Amino acid sequence: MSNLDPRTKIVIILCLSTLAVFLNSPRPLLLLFISTLAVLAFFRINFFRIMFRFKKLLPVLLAMLIIQSIFTPGGQVLLTLGGINVLTSNGVSSALCVLFRMLIFFGSAMIIVTSSSKDYILALVQLKVPYEIAFMVMVAFRFLPVFKEEINDTLVSIQLRGVELKKIAWGKKIKFYTHFLTPLLSSVMIKAYQLSISMEARAFRVYRRRTYLRFLKYSVLDYLVTGFFLIATIAVLGVVF
Amino acid sequence: MGFIDLHNVYYRYPGQSRFVLNGVNLSISKEGVTAVTGANGSGKTTFSKLLAGILTPTKGWVKLNGQFLTSLTLAQIGRQIGYVFQDPEKQLFCETVEEEIGFGLRNLGLPLDQVALKVQEIMEYFELTRYSQSFPLSLSAGEKRRLAIAAVFALEPELLVLDEPTTGLDPYRKKLLGDYIEKMVASKRGVVIISHDHKFIARHATRLIRLQDGQFAEG
Repeated sequence: MSNLDPRTKIVIILCLSTLAVFLNSPRPLLLLFISTLAVLAFFRINFFRIMFRFKKLLPVLLAMLIIQSIFTPGGQVLLTLGGINVLTSNGVSSALCVLFRMLIFFGSAMIIVTSSSKDYILALVQLKVPYEIAFMVMVAFRFLPVFKEEINDTLVSIQLRGVELKKIAWGKKIKFYTHFLTPLLSSVMIKAYQLSISMEARAFRVYRRRTYLRFLKYSVLDYLVTGFFLIATIAVLGVVF
Repeated sequence: MGFIDLHNVYYRYPGQSRFVLNGVNLSISKEGVTAVTGANGSGKTTFSKLLAGILTPTKGWVKLNGQFLTSLTLAQIGRQIGYVFQDPEKQLFCETVEEEIGFGLRNLGLPLDQVALKVQEIMEYFELTRYSQSFPLSLSAGEKRRLAIAAVFALEPELLVLDEPTTGLDPYRKKLLGDYIEKMVASKRGVVIISHDHKFIARHATRLIRLQDGQFAEG
């Protein structure tokens, strides 16, 4: 499956994400999540091992689920505190929907790593996306780890200057992060500007017409997989609406 | 026992098979200026990050004042060790130069009038006063480096780790930096400099360590 055309992979990602957006109850979303896991297994991607790396996001996810549960009224009351309905069946259902949706988004996005960025640029260009935009999208993806490292270093620097980040209460922590968002975004903007100058200086877009050594070709398997996913997505959406 | 002790320290980055540091044993005292040199990619920055507790050894241990670094938080380490990154942009996160220098001082709980005085003094020394209300990331490369160093100097740490501190500094600013380092040494504070700037090292270092194949050689 990893040898599939990048365009096929884009179709798979779009189909899974679209369904995750439009399905609105936990059971179908759970089925879709299981299907996503099956797709990932075909691509030999270990979903749970990758998700383990994001374990630090677990408290945020839990907080989101709790908030979702509390603020979605209706249905059977499951927990009452001081006369207030804290947990309802609709709340739990809504939280589960958010959880499955996020897992499906993460899972489908993992398919991206099975092809190189050059292949995606080529794929997007052959899908008639202007080369400049295709290239920028891929550069943005490549910069994500750099951006992550930069945030990490900034957080280290903040702590080395006396801030006990782990001991700060969540409310204060959020305020703290918001405070550093502006300089961080400015840093990214400055980097993007420098990158654009560097690219222009190295003849990016110097000729209007661009030629390519490689040309991606759809195989029979690509047609089958694309067809299967498109038909399945349309069918499911047809049933939902 | 030194101020910082490294015992049989090995380090390799996650997902890589090569060890950047191979069983390093080293003591660094709070006196004098220790210079660390070595070729590009020899692990100098990795070593400096291990000293400041930013990285944790794959094997072996690092102790700060007799305490395992792993038992201390970065904020606790920061009270004793000041770290200036190779890329100063990584440690500039406030909205003004003044705020950047005062950030650590406020966190240490100093009264605001003392913070203001110290910030003023540091800004004057590093000739940053006219940029006091400027956005740190809009400064020139040399100014950003000066600011990054100034923000850490303000905390008066017991040991200062400077990763390539002279990059982008003109000779006059290099001299200012050197003078400040000498001032720190005179007040019984140590400095570790990771650098390729042989002239600067020759002028200020009291101990020279060369990093080669993940191990240190003195001299």
